[in-house]
Amino acid sequence: MQKIVKVLFILLVAAVLVVDVAPQRAASSSMNFQVPRGLPQDLWESLIPADNPLTPEKIALGEKLFFDKRLSADRTVSCATCHDPALGFADSNAVAVGVELKKGARNSPSIINAVFNELQFWDGRAPSLEEQAKLPLINPIEMGMKDHDAVVERVKEIPEYRVEFEKVFGSEGITIDTIVKAIAAFERVQLSGDAPFDRFIAGDASAISESAKRGWELFNGKARCISCHAFNSTNPFFSDFKFHNIGVAAKDRNFSQLARKAQQLIAANKDRQRIQDELALSPGFSELGRYLVTGEPRDIGAFKTSMLRDVELTAPYMHDGSEKTLLDVIKFYDRGGEVNPNLDGGMRPLKLTDQEMFDLVEFLKTLTSDASKKRFYSLKPQTREPAK
Amino acid sequence: MEKKLKVLVVLLLLLAFYVVNAQQHPSVKDEDKVMTVKLCDGETYVQLEGRLPNERLSRSEAEAVTNELMAKWLAKQPPAVAAAWTKEYQEGKKKAQQKAQAKAGDESVKQEKQTYEFTKRDIQMWERELKKLIDYGDQIFHDDQLIGSTNGVSCAMCHPNAANTHPETYPKYQIQLQRVALLRDMINWCIENPSRGKKLEPDDPKMRALEAYIMSQRKGVPMEYGKH
Amino acid sequence: MLPLKWEKKLQEYMKSRERWFSELMQAGSTWQGRRKFLKMAAMAAGFAASKSFTPHSFQLVDVVSSDDRKPFTFAYISDSHLYEKTLNERFVRQLQRAVADINALDPQPDFVLYGGDLAQLGQPGELKLGAQILKEIKAPVKMMVGEHDWFLDMGEVWRELFGPPYYSFDHKGVHFITLMSVNEKDFWTAKGYSPMERMRIVAGLDDARQSPFEVGEEEREWLKQDLQKVDRKTPIVVFSHSPLYKLYRNWNFWTEDAEEVQALLRPFEKVTVIHGHTHQVLTHRIGNIHFHGMLSTAWPWPYAPTGLPKLTVQMNRQNPFNQTDGLGDGTVEVHATGRVDKHYNLWNRNPMRVSARYLDSEGAEDRPPATTLPSY
Repeated sequence: MQKIVKVLFILLVAAVLVVDVAPQRAASSSMNFQVPRGLPQDLWESLIPADNPLTPEKIALGEKLFFDKRLSADRTVSCATCHDPALGFADSNAVAVGVELKKGARNSPSIINAVFNELQFWDGRAPSLEEQAKLPLINPIEMGMKDHDAVVERVKEIPEYRVEFEKVFGSEGITIDTIVKAIAAFERVQLSGDAPFDRFIAGDASAISESAKRGWELFNGKARCISCHAFNSTNPFFSDFKFHNIGVAAKDRNFSQLARKAQQLIAANKDRQRIQDELALSPGFSELGRYLVTGEPRDIGAFKTSMLRDVELTAPYMHDGSEKTLLDVIKFYDRGGEVNPNLDGGMRPLKLTDQEMFDLVEFLKTLTSDASKKRFYSLKPQTREPAK
Repeated sequence: MEKKLKVLVVLLLLLAFYVVNAQQHPSVKDEDKVMTVKLCDGETYVQLEGRLPNERLSRSEAEAVTNELMAKWLAKQPPAVAAAWTKEYQEGKKKAQQKAQAKAGDESVKQEKQTYEFTKRDIQMWERELKKLIDYGDQIFHDDQLIGSTNGVSCAMCHPNAANTHPETYPKYQIQLQRVALLRDMINWCIENPSRGKKLEPDDPKMRALEAYIMSQRKGVPMEYGKH
Repeated sequence: MLPLKWEKKLQEYMKSRERWFSELMQAGSTWQGRRKFLKMAAMAAGFAASKSFTPHSFQLVDVVSSDDRKPFTFAYISDSHLYEKTLNERFVRQLQRAVADINALDPQPDFVLYGGDLAQLGQPGELKLGAQILKEIKAPVKMMVGEHDWFLDMGEVWRELFGPPYYSFDHKGVHFITLMSVNEKDFWTAKGYSPMERMRIVAGLDDARQSPFEVGEEEREWLKQDLQKVDRKTPIVVFSHSPLYKLYRNWNFWTEDAEEVQALLRPFEKVTVIHGHTHQVLTHRIGNIHFHGMLSTAWPWPYAPTGLPKLTVQMNRQNPFNQTDGLGDGTVEVHATGRVDKHYNLWNRNPMRVSARYLDSEGAEDRPPATTLPSY
C-alpha cells in the first residue's frame, strides 16, 4: 500500500514538472522572430534557454540596461561603451577601456551573433550570455562595481526599473539573475545575416565582385582560413568555436613562468571565476588565453576563433587589437604567425601575392550585412558623459 | 605422446599438492558454536565464540580475524623476520593506494570538459550537413527533371533505394566502357544513356549529392573494388 | 511513326523471330522434331551448355487429360510503363516488340493477358497510346490494371477504355480470376496531395509516403461469392498485378491482405497466381498455390534485398548497356492437370522455363539453370 502511494506521488511530481516546463517552451517560441537570411532559424531557436524565454518587453528592458551607464561605478560606462552599435557592437580601441579610462588587455568582441558562440569571452570562461554579462559589471577595470549586490542596489534605486522588472519578471523582481537575463535577451536578437555573401551563396552570382569570389576561393584553399573559420549551412558563422594559439600572444612572453604564477594565484583565491576574470584582463597574464580557464598546457596562448560576419566594422583585430586593418590581419597569417612553443600546427607561411591578399579582404567585406552597415554609417558613437 | 604425458604428470602433481595441503592446513575446525580459524602454519589460530564453524563472516569481520592472526604470528617470529615482513607489507599497501588514486585521476581528466574535443554541437552539425547532402542526392536520384533527363527516366526507376548501383565495386574495369571507371563515370553514363541527359562535371553539386546518396544506401557493405 | 531505318530493322528482326518460334514449336511436337531441335541447339554455342533445353522443355501436348480438360497456352505482356511517344519512344518500341513476339507465336495462344502498368503516370494520352498498340494483338486480350494506370484519376480513363478492373471467366475447364490488387488506403487527402502528386508518389517504387497494396474488403467479398460457384477440383488461375504474398514492403512487392486472399483460395486443389509489378523472374509456392512473376517490357527491377522466395531461380543481372536486357514477355502452358509451366521469353537471353514439376517437387526436380552473374 505504502509503495503504491509512493509511486503515485512520484507520478504526480513528474506530471507537475512536465506541466511546468511545457509553457516555458511555448513562451520562447510564441515570439515570432525571424533570423536574417543565411542564419539557421532552428539553431537560433534551440539556443533560447528554457528558463529565459524571449518576450518583446524583456528585450526592451534588456536594451535599456545595455545602454545604461548607471550600471557602472562612476556612471560613465555602459555595456554599449565597448559594444557600440555604431561600431559594429564593438569599439575602435585596441583594448577595452573601462571606468576612469582604465585599460584592459583584450579587444572588445562584437555581441553580434554572440548567441551562437558555444562559450563566451576570448577564452570561453563563461558558458552563456547570462554568465558573461555578470562579469564586466564587477571587474575593477571595466564597470567597476564592488559586487553584484551593489549592482542590484543601483538598479533598485531607479523607480522605472522597479516597474519594468515587475512587469517582465513578476515577483522575482530585481536580482542579478534577472538583470543579466534581460541583457542576454536583448543580445540574442542582435544578429547579422543577409550579407552580399549570403545572396551569392544562395545563387546570385552578381552579389559579390570577381575579386571577392577569388577571395572566397582562396579562403577555402590556399589561404587555409576555412580550417578554423568554418562555414557551412548549419554553421554559417565562420568559426569553429575552438581555441587556437595562432602566435598573436607570443610576443616575447615567458609563457611557462607566467603559467606557474597564474596557477598559484588561482589556487590561492577563493572566488575562482573572479580571479580568472581579473587575470584575463591584466597585461601579461591575459596572454595565457584559454589556459587561465582550463589549466592545461596545450591551451597556453590559445584564443577562441572569432566569427567573421561584420568583421569589416570592428577594427582593430585579434584578441589584443594588435592588427589595425583586415589587410594587416591577412599579412599576419601570411607570415604564419609568431613562432612560439605552443603555436597551432595549422599555422604556416602562406606565400600569398599582394593581389591574393587584396582579394581576401574584398571577400571579408562581403560578410557585412546591410543592416549593420547602415547602423555603422548612421548612428553616433557612445560618449563617456556621466549619466545623472 | 610426450606432451600428453607431461600434462598428465603436471596434473597429478597438482592433485597431490592439493591433497597434502588440504590435510596440513585445515582452516576451520569443526566444533559446536565456536569457529576456529587457523593460519597456514598449522599452529596459530583465532577462535570466535558464538559462531558456527561453517558460518560466513562479513568482510570487516574477516579482516579483523586475519589481522589478529597475523599479529599473533608476528609475535612468535624473531624480531628481524618480523621487521622485514612489516616493511614489505606496508610498502605493498602504499603502492596499491597510489595505483587506485592514479586510476581515479584518469577518470576525472576524462570527465572534464575539454577545449579542443568535439562537442555535441559539432557532432550534430556534421550529421546535419551530411544528411542535407544525402537528402539532396535522394531528391535528384528520384527526379528525372533534376538529372536533366529528356525521356522521363529517373535513376530510381531502375535502382529503387539505389539497388544494383554497387558503389563498393568501383574503381573497376568497366567492360562496356573498355576502361577503368569510377562510380561517377557510371552515374554520368546513366544520365547520358538511359536518361538521355547531359553529363555532369565531376565536382558538380548534383554529382557530389548523387554519390553521397548512393554511398549512404550501401552502409556496412564491404569495399570490394574491381568486383564484377 | 518510327524512323525508316528502325522500321526496316524491326521487320527483319520479326521475320527471323517468326522462323525461330515456328521451329521451336515444331521441335516440341514430335520426337523427330525434337532431335532436329537438339541438333540446332547444339550448333548454337550459347545453348550447348544450357541445361534448360532438355527435351521435356517442349512437351506441349504430352500430358493426357484425365478428364475433359484440354491443355492450352496463353501469353502475357506486362509493365510497359508508357510515356507519351514524344517524351519516350523507347518504351513504346519495346511494347511493340512484345506485341510482335506474341503475334508471331504459332500456334497462336488462346488469349493474351496484359499484366498492368500500361502507363507510367496514368495519363489519358499514355493509356490511349497503350490501347492503340494492344489492338494490334491478334489473339483476344484480357486486361489487368496496375498502380501506374490508376492513381491519377483513380481508374476513370482505364475503366472507360478497358472495362471493370476485376472479373472472372472460364476457359477450357479452368476458372480464371483477374484481381485489382493495387488499391491503397488514402494517404493523400490528409496531406493535401494533388492527383499528380499522388500518382508520382505511387509511381515511386521506393517512395515510403504511400500505403501498401491491398485487394481490399469489398473485392475480397466479391471473390468469396465468385468462388462459391466453383468446384474445388476445378483448377484456378488468378491474375494480380502485385504479388499475392508478402515479399518486400519497401517496394510494395507486397499485398497487405495477402493472407486473407490466400485463405479464400486454399480449399481449391490447384491454384496458380500470375502477377506483374516485380519486372523479374520470380517463383514461389505456398501450399496449393503456385506463384509466377511476369517480365516487363520497360525496365527490369533489381531483386529485393530481403524476402526472396526460396524457389526463385534468379535471372541474370542485366547488362545496363543493353537496353532490352532483362526484359521480355512470355507464355503460360496450362496442362490438362490444371497446373502450369511458366515461360519467360527474355529478350537477348536464353528463354527460361519454370515448370509445374519444379514447383510440385519443391525444387527437387527440373530446376531451371542458375544465373552466372550475382545480383548485388
